Amino acid sequence: MTKITPEEFKVTDFAVREHRSLWSDAWRRLISTNTARLGMFIVVLFVSSATFSHFFWEYEPKKDLDYSLKLNPPNLVVTEEITSIHPFGTDKLGRDIFRRVVHGGWNSLRVGIVAVGISLFFGGIIGLLTGFYETVTMTTVERMVLYGITGLLLGMLSAWIASQLIQLFVFTGLGIATGYFERLWAGKYYRTIFFGVLGALLSALPALFAGLPIALVCGALGLLSGVLMSLTLDGRFFSNVMMRLMDMVLSFPGYLLAIAIVAFLGPGLGKGMIAIGVVGIPVYARLTRSAVLSVVHKEYILAAQSVGESHSRIILRHITPNILSPIIVQTTMGLANAILSAAALGFLGLGAIPPEPEWGAMLGDSYRYLTSGAWWAVLFPGVAIMLSVLGFNLLGDGLRDALDPKLRV
Amino acid sequence: MTRYIIRRLISVIPTLIGVTFVIFMFQRLIPGDPAIAMLGEHATEESIERIREQFGLNRPIFLDREALAEGNLAGFFDSQYINYMTRLSRLDLGDSIHRRIPVLETLALRFPATVELSLLSMFLAVAIGVPVGIISASRRNSVIDSVSMVGSLIGVSMPIFWLGLMEIMLFAVILQWLPAGARLSTGVEIRTVTSLYLVDSLLTGNWAGFVDAFSHIIMPAVALATIPMGIIARMTRSSMLDVLQEDYIRTARAKGLGSRQVLFRHALKNAALPVVTIIGLQAGTLLAGAVLTETIFSWPGIGRWVYDAILGRDYPIVQGGTLLIALIFVGVNLMVDLLYALLDPRIRYK
Repeated sequence: MTKITPEEFKVTDFAVREHRSLWSDAWRRLISTNTARLGMFIVVLFVSSATFSHFFWEYEPKKDLDYSLKLNPPNLVVTEEITSIHPFGTDKLGRDIFRRVVHGGWNSLRVGIVAVGISLFFGGIIGLLTGFYETVTMTTVERMVLYGITGLLLGMLSAWIASQLIQLFVFTGLGIATGYFERLWAGKYYRTIFFGVLGALLSALPALFAGLPIALVCGALGLLSGVLMSLTLDGRFFSNVMMRLMDMVLSFPGYLLAIAIVAFLGPGLGKGMIAIGVVGIPVYARLTRSAVLSVVHKEYILAAQSVGESHSRIILRHITPNILSPIIVQTTMGLANAILSAAALGFLGLGAIPPEPEWGAMLGDSYRYLTSGAWWAVLFPGVAIMLSVLGFNLLGDGLRDALDPKLRV
Repeated sequence: MTRYIIRRLISVIPTLIGVTFVIFMFQRLIPGDPAIAMLGEHATEESIERIREQFGLNRPIFLDREALAEGNLAGFFDSQYINYMTRLSRLDLGDSIHRRIPVLETLALRFPATVELSLLSMFLAVAIGVPVGIISASRRNSVIDSVSMVGSLIGVSMPIFWLGLMEIMLFAVILQWLPAGARLSTGVEIRTVTSLYLVDSLLTGNWAGFVDAFSHIIMPAVALATIPMGIIARMTRSSMLDVLQEDYIRTARAKGLGSRQVLFRHALKNAALPVVTIIGLQAGTLLAGAVLTETIFSWPGIGRWVYDAILGRDYPIVQGGTLLIALIFVGVNLMVDLLYALLDPRIRYK
């Protein structure tokens, strides 16, 4: 059998097109739209200017201070009074705003990228696992791990009450055992009774050394977890618990939770990153889960299962590449949101610690001078925030159109 | 339907417990001792001990295992968390640290201002966003479509605190058309009926008061409405575009119905569901955005109050305010879900 290549045809045959991969196809679509090109241009501009200035244009915020230049309007030529050029003017401490905006990009973009990285990593793992095991039955080993972890969590409470480390091992062991003997008397009521009593005894006996009341409470906990683990906890249960947890985080509106977290932890860029990242986890978890659910029934997954590929291989090699496109789009848009949230935190004085340059913090620093006419100190950092966010949003929009198979005819 | 409502209501309970738990944990996240945070650095050992006693801070956080070892079951549950939950169930949010007045009292006093601002913003966002989305969808790929979609994307990308500042600069500082802060000018009085000044002034026929209240609220409302407006416009457009590709739209056109009738009677009705959801979800954006907007416009609502409390480290206020906002958000989401089920019978039977 010969391979057909387009070169062999003298006449153009429209049915045979040069092979393009999904990604090069998407790339062609992406650069064919004006808005996506604009978005890409803005993103590249901001990322490169921030990176280059960070590494090649030295700036020491702690030493940058010159009261003689306080709140000067933008000037592009050198005059007798102002001997230096400040295209964006100077702020209340006489610092060049252009320089701080360029350097501030490093901080603002870094917060966004790290925060999205945190949300994507944890949310992605949660989404992959919940989505996969919601439909695919667990193997015995996986069940043992799940039961073991459930036991460990339940055992923590009991171990703390009795202040005995052994409780932890007892509960974990109980979990692993119920996972291993998953078919022992399956569906029979005496399975529940057996594991309940076993849990109660195993927990209460060592707890007797700490006193009778404690032994009673531990016994009750042991009974409860024994009963719970004798039931068939499957992936659906695990997925339900995780999703309720995600709902809980989602029930805090937007970055209010981030504001609250940083308000209690104290300000700082690192804490801001973590706070914004944590708040974003549920979004990615839900998105990944629904994307997994939409591909897990496909024939190629069934095929991979039937040739005996391991679950981790199926998840990594077959599912992950096929759900990438919605996640890429969400990540791009998420970057925009994270930058916006970071700026909001900075504006409220909860982000970067002054004099560290950061767009939001620069706004928060100088908005009180607005009434005295210093518009430049407020305008330029704000434009920087808006443009960078807009750039990521435009790019995300373009990526969605480029990667959305529905639009492909 | 009743079963669906009951199921949905039950599913809220773990969420509520989680929310209160997280907010309780905030208290534990404060670096250092809360008693010292209340009294300041220079407090004496005695007064710190007294405060700890008074607020139950000397109790264990979750459960008291020493009391249990002595067989004291009531003591076992006498912990900070359980006491907090009991107080919460009696609607006791504690007292403000600095001003020594109950948090709930101030919350009730300031809540209407935030509600008024959020409602007007939501109204603006829907009144502008939905029509823009419909027009864009009906003239897909036209100049109007591109302009409004780029416009709404700019709206979505807007740092609202910066927009607020730009509004102040333009309308209050340069043009001097509108006041830059507060709810009313000094000297203007409106008899309170609902505590929403716009409504109250209309109800009592106080036209001058209405104009004054409106001139104060319009700038923060526009700033707050920008992001939801963009999101709603984009959602309406994409939802309408989905529906306009359906077969029944072609059928309606083939029947010879006018384009207006097809658009509003057939397409809009079916495209409304995702739009309703997204409008509901914006409630959270509005309430969180209120912290920023109210700070800039000195708006006497919950957001600014929470912000001041953050700066002043007045933790009971931060807890109470966050709890209220989270509860409203949960409530609105619940209502949207129920409304959704009412509009779409398929969901009820899932």
